[in-house]
Amino acid sequence: MSDTVTIIASTSGRKRRSLTFTIGAFLVGLHIIVGLMTLIWTPFDPGAMSGERLEAASLLHLAGTDRLGRDLFSLIMIGSRIALIVGTGAIVIGGLIGITIGLLAAFASKTLDDVLAAGLDILIAFPTLLLAMLIVASSDGSSLWTAIFAIGIANSAIVARLTRILAKRVLSMDYITASRISGTSWMGVVAIHILPNIWPTLLVNLALQFGLAVIAEASLSYLGLGAPPPNASWGRLLQEAQGTVYTAPLGAIAPGIALVSLVIGINLLADGLRDLADPTRRSRK
Amino acid sequence: MIGLTTVKGSTQNNRRMISRTAIAAMLLSALTAGAAAAADFDADATITIGSLYEPQNLDNTAGAGQGINEAFNNNVYEGLFRLADSGNVEPVLAKDFKVSEDGLTYTFTLQPGVKFHSGDALTSKDVKFSIERVTSAESKSSRKNSLKVIAGIETPDDATVVIKLSSRSISLPYNLSYVWIINDTATNLTATEDGTGPYELADWRRGSSLALTRFDDYWGQKPSNGDVVFQYFTEATALNNALLTGSVDIITSVQSPDSLVQFKDNVDFTVAEGKSTTKLLLAYNDRVAPFDNVKVRKALARAIDDAKLLKAVWGDYGSLIGSMVPPTDPWFIDLTKTDAYDVESAKALLKEAGYPDGFSFTIDTPNYDPHPIVAQFLQTELAKIGVKVTINVITANEWYSKVYKAHDFQATLQEHVNHRDIVFYGNPDFYWGYNNPKVVDLIKQAEASTTTEEQTNRLKDANTIIAEDAASNWLYLYPQIVVSAKSVTGYPLNGLNAQFFAGGIRKAD
Repeated sequence: MSDTVTIIASTSGRKRRSLTFTIGAFLVGLHIIVGLMTLIWTPFDPGAMSGERLEAASLLHLAGTDRLGRDLFSLIMIGSRIALIVGTGAIVIGGLIGITIGLLAAFASKTLDDVLAAGLDILIAFPTLLLAMLIVASSDGSSLWTAIFAIGIANSAIVARLTRILAKRVLSMDYITASRISGTSWMGVVAIHILPNIWPTLLVNLALQFGLAVIAEASLSYLGLGAPPPNASWGRLLQEAQGTVYTAPLGAIAPGIALVSLVIGINLLADGLRDLADPTRRSRK
Repeated sequence: MIGLTTVKGSTQNNRRMISRTAIAAMLLSALTAGAAAAADFDADATITIGSLYEPQNLDNTAGAGQGINEAFNNNVYEGLFRLADSGNVEPVLAKDFKVSEDGLTYTFTLQPGVKFHSGDALTSKDVKFSIERVTSAESKSSRKNSLKVIAGIETPDDATVVIKLSSRSISLPYNLSYVWIINDTATNLTATEDGTGPYELADWRRGSSLALTRFDDYWGQKPSNGDVVFQYFTEATALNNALLTGSVDIITSVQSPDSLVQFKDNVDFTVAEGKSTTKLLLAYNDRVAPFDNVKVRKALARAIDDAKLLKAVWGDYGSLIGSMVPPTDPWFIDLTKTDAYDVESAKALLKEAGYPDGFSFTIDTPNYDPHPIVAQFLQTELAKIGVKVTINVITANEWYSKVYKAHDFQATLQEHVNHRDIVFYGNPDFYWGYNNPKVVDLIKQAEASTTTEEQTNRLKDANTIIAEDAASNWLYLYPQIVVSAKSVTGYPLNGLNAQFFAGGIRKAD
């Protein structure tokens, strides 16, 4: 492949990716705005039975009403907030635990590193949802926080493994030895060399984990293990609409669209982030 | 249906009804004979019944849940009596019985020639063994308390059982319909069976299905089908789809009005409505504050718009009830006016009770429909009188151990399927802990009545007091809707106690 061809391919690819980034940022931004807005305003009080049973979509009730006559659009708007809280909470927890364990493993003695690596592999082999279900089931009643915690823990193994590999790669570089000889402490090495180097890749990974966390929360709620009512999780809305899917399909379609749009938005954003943040791709330009 | 009309017909009409019934019966038997000859139904057909109630195990004294009654009552196990679909108590393994003058000694003569599935013959010892299983200390049967009056069981010969009571018990035959007669040599009853019913257990796949096959040495009338398979679903939509695609023949009770749309206007299916005894309850733990206060319970009853809830969950189906007693019980009285929906008086009562600013409590909510949505409805309704509800979603197993066994709850939602279950309010140790000595006494006296009229009046009195005390919050009575493929007929409609007698089901060729 000649150089010219490579350049053309990469610039057009870059344009495409920046478009995906824009769409992603738009979708996620929309959900963030809606989520923040629900703190002060929703079209209807989400708990109030403001309409009749299973009303169709109208100008008043944009997504119709559920069996209790509650405005679905308001509930879906609140669902945005719940999803974003869970996603953020889960990646903060997963990130903190995962990065810490990953760094520890990277610095640890050979035996401890092997043990940690094997432990992480086992955790990763365990389905995320199943692990989260176990954590929720063993805690005293489900709540929004147990869901966040459970998903965060489940995600932390993936973050830890990635951090470990990335950190080890950096640690094997000659300049680390040079830095050590010149008197930098291990903490200094982490702060000056490792984190700045692995950060872009980690960020993209965390963004993807965010999307997975949103889906995991919807799944847990669908199973009745997520945020308990009255938290209007999309998963629970989907579950409640299941019995009425033939008579009022909008009840299942609307929260479904909300869920899909946020997750696609996050994935596109992560894709775009990778272009912006990844130094190896940037240099190719 | 004929039986039902007879029960409901007035005395003047009775004779006409009876003759009509007789004619209908003759016609029916002629039809049966004709059918057998012409074979317009398949005598060896496999009937697949779709249900949402998988039993936890196969022993109704070991907390198996309502699913085991559905699958096993009168299909695999029989009792001395049975509660027929009409609501009447009919003798089954008891050929006849005599009651002594003082009402304390019942002498039962057993049906001759009855064989267990293992091949053993039915003897009086099996009956004694079976009754003692239900009344034993380990038994978790909900009817254990009703059989406490049994002081002793004697077996003078193989065909005779004598039950001595410590006090009169007018509903002994009824209560005995809950006792499965099991071979006294049987073991491991949570996973196997040894009954006398028309079917024996062929295969039980946990989480999936329970297959029964016709028992060839059955003493009574042979079933009009060959095999019966109960196919279990965890989810109503999946169950409906199974019927639509023909992988099940019958749904024992449809759980949402919205799914009926698919079957109602479709010529391939029959939608039939029977009479249900299933009540949805917001049951308080009457032992703990603030629910030990009658005024609080009454206030909560008045704050909830049951009609709106029923409409939300069931559309135009179902009915409202004012107490634990549904219209099919002989001691029914309309108590829907007691503590009817009235938010203002609810607030006033709450203030009188010492909670002017309301209070907060947790509803332990089973995780399957309709409980979560009902809990949300209650949350919104009670917020209007300043009562804050926290919803704690739990599984059916957790409900059984936390609420039913350990009484560790403030309030809970639960569907009570049982027939004539007002007697539970006469047991202060029951999970809801309602304890009114007057009611305990009335229910006891009702049992000791010499005539059914006396019994009915006493239970009506008890019922009124329980409703006045707002012992629990009776939200609504479920509808009972059975949907089947057009080719399948002869199934029970009312499903009293969630029973489902499969013996009469026919499938067209």
